[in-house]
Amino acid sequence: MDEKTRTRVGGPEDPREGLEAVVALRRTLEALEAAQVENAFIAGWSWARIAEVLGVSKQAVHKKHARRIRARYPGEPPRRKGRDQ
Amino acid sequence: MIFTRFTDRSRKSVEAALEEARMLGHDSLGDEDLVLGILRVDEGLAAEALTSLGVTIEDAREESEEILSDALSSIGISLEEVRREAGDAFEMRIPAHRRIPFSPRAKKALVEARKEMRRLGDNYLGTEHVLLGILDNQDGTAVRMLARLGVAPETLEERLFELRGRAAG
Repeated sequence: MDEKTRTRVGGPEDPREGLEAVVALRRTLEALEAAQVENAFIAGWSWARIAEVLGVSKQAVHKKHARRIRARYPGEPPRRKGRDQ
Repeated sequence: MIFTRFTDRSRKSVEAALEEARMLGHDSLGDEDLVLGILRVDEGLAAEALTSLGVTIEDAREESEEILSDALSSIGISLEEVRREAGDAFEMRIPAHRRIPFSPRAKKALVEARKEMRRLGDNYLGTEHVLLGILDNQDGTAVRMLARLGVAPETLEERLFELRGRAAG
């Protein structure tokens, strides 16, 4: 109980450690988002559908990811399995 | 970045640091990336000093990744699991079109490098000045990365001056 309370209230003992975890998480989050958007794209999802699930605009997703993914899959876009909804 | 007085080697090292930062997913160029850049170009006194103390670029990159993965562990996240879940598409590398700014620490290291150059009465800014500038910040990630590789800042500095003396003599 004591242990739990302290953790919840105080966070890590060293603020530096806490802040560094944020940086590490931010960098990992970026990589994870890129990977999952790419996975969805390969699975045949449209930008619109990816954006909807991410809860952001289609333009935002496209702007952030299209260039990278296009460079990775030049020429034909990956086969679209089924229709976008 | 202003490269006034930089030698070819030190300029190349800073440019290589950007590549290292990009590869490792560092969204800003840290002082540890400056060390990686020096090792990557592998020319000049700084690289020689680091290498002579057993620091390789592979070990340094690995240590930098380890620092990130340790930071994630501290909040209960396993980088390995994230990687496994996301599959082959997961990579830390930052896309080519995204700009990577210099971190305040990296900027400060380069400012200190210039001061080191003046203090030593040199008229060129070499890799040794850059490394001294990096070591100036005991609180930086570079110093911690080197410590984790078993290299104390004082030892490195000593070796640097030893090599400098030899080059001059």
